[in-house]
Amino acid sequence: MEANELQEVVLAFASGAKVREKTDRPSLTVPAASLPDLLAKLKADERLSFDMLLDHTAVDWLERGVLELFYQLFSTRHGHTLTVSAEVPREEPVAPSVSGVHLIAEWQEREVYDMFGVLYEGHPDLRRLLLDDSWVGHPLRKDYRDDHMIERPK
Amino acid sequence: MGLKIIDDFPGVAMKVPGGSVMLGVMDAVINWARANSLWPLSFGTSCCAIEMLMATGAPHQDMARFGAEVARPSPRQADLLVVAGTIVKRMAPTLRTLYEQMAEPRYVMATGACAISGGPFIYNNYSVVRGADEIIPVDVYVPGCPPRPEAFFYALLTLQRMIRSGDSLKSRHVHKRPVMSALPAGITVADIQEELRDLLERDSAVDVEKEAAAGPWAGKGYC
Repeated sequence: MEANELQEVVLAFASGAKVREKTDRPSLTVPAASLPDLLAKLKADERLSFDMLLDHTAVDWLERGVLELFYQLFSTRHGHTLTVSAEVPREEPVAPSVSGVHLIAEWQEREVYDMFGVLYEGHPDLRRLLLDDSWVGHPLRKDYRDDHMIERPK
Repeated sequence: MGLKIIDDFPGVAMKVPGGSVMLGVMDAVINWARANSLWPLSFGTSCCAIEMLMATGAPHQDMARFGAEVARPSPRQADLLVVAGTIVKRMAPTLRTLYEQMAEPRYVMATGACAISGGPFIYNNYSVVRGADEIIPVDVYVPGCPPRPEAFFYALLTLQRMIRSGDSLKSRHVHKRPVMSALPAGITVADIQEELRDLLERDSAVDVEKEAAAGPWAGKGYC
């Protein structure tokens, strides 16, 4: 399916979605609360069949005070890709878990929790994935500091 | 001292850790053997491992010329720990354990910017240890990101020189202060190969007479 056509079909599913401009692949921004429903629909639909969650990560926009969650979707049947993003506030980063739709999201969400501190509602086992359990803070946040770190001189 | 032979032959006869007496000229033979049979432990954590352990061990570069081609996956059988790559905090205890499991005498070579100082990860980083020498004592530093195989050979020859000039019996592991083994500027691959050929010819046999003549006991009629 062509990129424009794909976007049209996806927009019909997603209420409140916006198309991101200047991207090299179809990309949508949706409200965080609608994520599990939307991903389930995208997976079930015959024409789209986004059955694989390639990656889930986040970006810390410090000035805007939001964490942007990214979901990279891929269809093994049709070979097309889609990026879905959603913003959650930095101070209260709570998002619904999509591990009920894509099982791999369980570990990917644990990693994002580890690095960015996003709390996933409905996640079966939200623990740190890579760092020690005793670690304080979430190191990929832009304002993370610890005793070991050296700041880059200006 | 108590032992007459030590008083009679200062510099030649000395006490060894076991308490018995050994002639000092044995140092040359033992050092020669140690320097020419360095078995590296293949401890590669990132991109430096490709240059240091894969490319140099392969036939084109041919580490076997220096008697150092037997890369061991077990620290019990290795003499030389080549730290090839970034050391993160979670890897640090493993590195220390590996070092302590190696039999003495043991030597450590830190190759590449990451193993020397943390390299590109030195600032604003939460996970990378700033240099292997925060965890274990390092004998030779090899700068580069990653170093070329020639630089690694240069470092290997530097280490061999250190071992050969060290006191093999009196102190068993780190002999001298650590050195930075940087290739001098303007040196080409052809120069290095020629120099290596000469070195190999010179080092293929130890001249005990000559080593003895260069020692502190020279000219006293002992040897």
